[in-house]
Amino acid sequence: MKKDTIKWFAILHVIILIFSVNSICSKFASQNQFLSPKWILFYGIVICILGFYAIAWQQVLKHLPLITTYANKAATTIWGLIWGFVVFGEQITLQKVIGAIVVIIGVYLVVSGDEEVNGKASKEEVSSNE
Amino acid sequence: MNKFMLIMLTGTFIASCSQIVLKKAAEKEYPSKIAEYLNPMVMGAYIVFFGASLCSVIGYKGVPLSLGPILEATGYIWVAVLGKIFLGEKIGAKKATGLCVIIIGIVIASFGSEILTAITSLF
Repeated sequence: MKKDTIKWFAILHVIILIFSVNSICSKFASQNQFLSPKWILFYGIVICILGFYAIAWQQVLKHLPLITTYANKAATTIWGLIWGFVVFGEQITLQKVIGAIVVIIGVYLVVSGDEEVNGKASKEEVSSNE
Repeated sequence: MNKFMLIMLTGTFIASCSQIVLKKAAEKEYPSKIAEYLNPMVMGAYIVFFGASLCSVIGYKGVPLSLGPILEATGYIWVAVLGKIFLGEKIGAKKATGLCVIIIGIVIASFGSEILTAITSLF
C-alpha cells in the first residue's frame, strides 16, 4: 500500500515535470514568427503535452488524494525558475524565489481549505442519508 | 505591468472560465457517453481552453519563463471566485487566507524589486 503511494507520488512528479516543459515550448514558440514552421512545431508540442496531461492527471487522481495532487502541482513555479535559468539564462532573483514559495504556501492553504469544507459537506450528506 | 503580463493573466482567466463551464457540463445528465463530450458546452469550453493556451504563447513574448507559472497561479483565485458565483461553492476562512497568500506571492515575484525601491526611497 505504502509502496504504491510512493510509486504514484513519483509518477505525479514526472507528470508535473513534463507539464512544466510545456512552458519551455510556449516560450520557444513565442520567440518565432506566428504560424512559422518552428512556431507550429513548438505550439504543436504544447497541445500534445496538454492532451497527455489531461489524461495522465485523471489516472493519478485515482491513486492519490486531490489535495496531494493540486498542492504538488504548485511545483511548476519552481520548475519555471529552473527552466528559465537553465534554458533561457534568466536570473533567479530573491524576490522570485520568495514569491514562488509564498505562492506554494497559498496553494496548499487553498487546497486544504477546500478539503475541509468538502469533507464536512460529505459527512453531513452521509448523516442526512442515514 | 506590461501588456504581455496582462495577456498572460487574461489567458489564465479564460482557462478558469472554461474549467467552470466543464464542471457545469459534468453535472448534467447525457443520453450517451459520446454526448458527454460532443455537446456545445464541452466543445466550447475546449475551444476556449485552446484560445487560452494561445494567450500564454503571446504572453511569453514579454514575460520571463521564470515568472509565467507564478502568474498562472492566479487561476486558483479565478476558479474560487467563479466557482462561488456560478456553482455556489463555498470559500472558507482557510481557503480565503490561501487566496490572499497566493496574491501576495504573485505581487512579490512580479513587483518585488519595484516595491523594494519604492520603500527604500522613502527613507
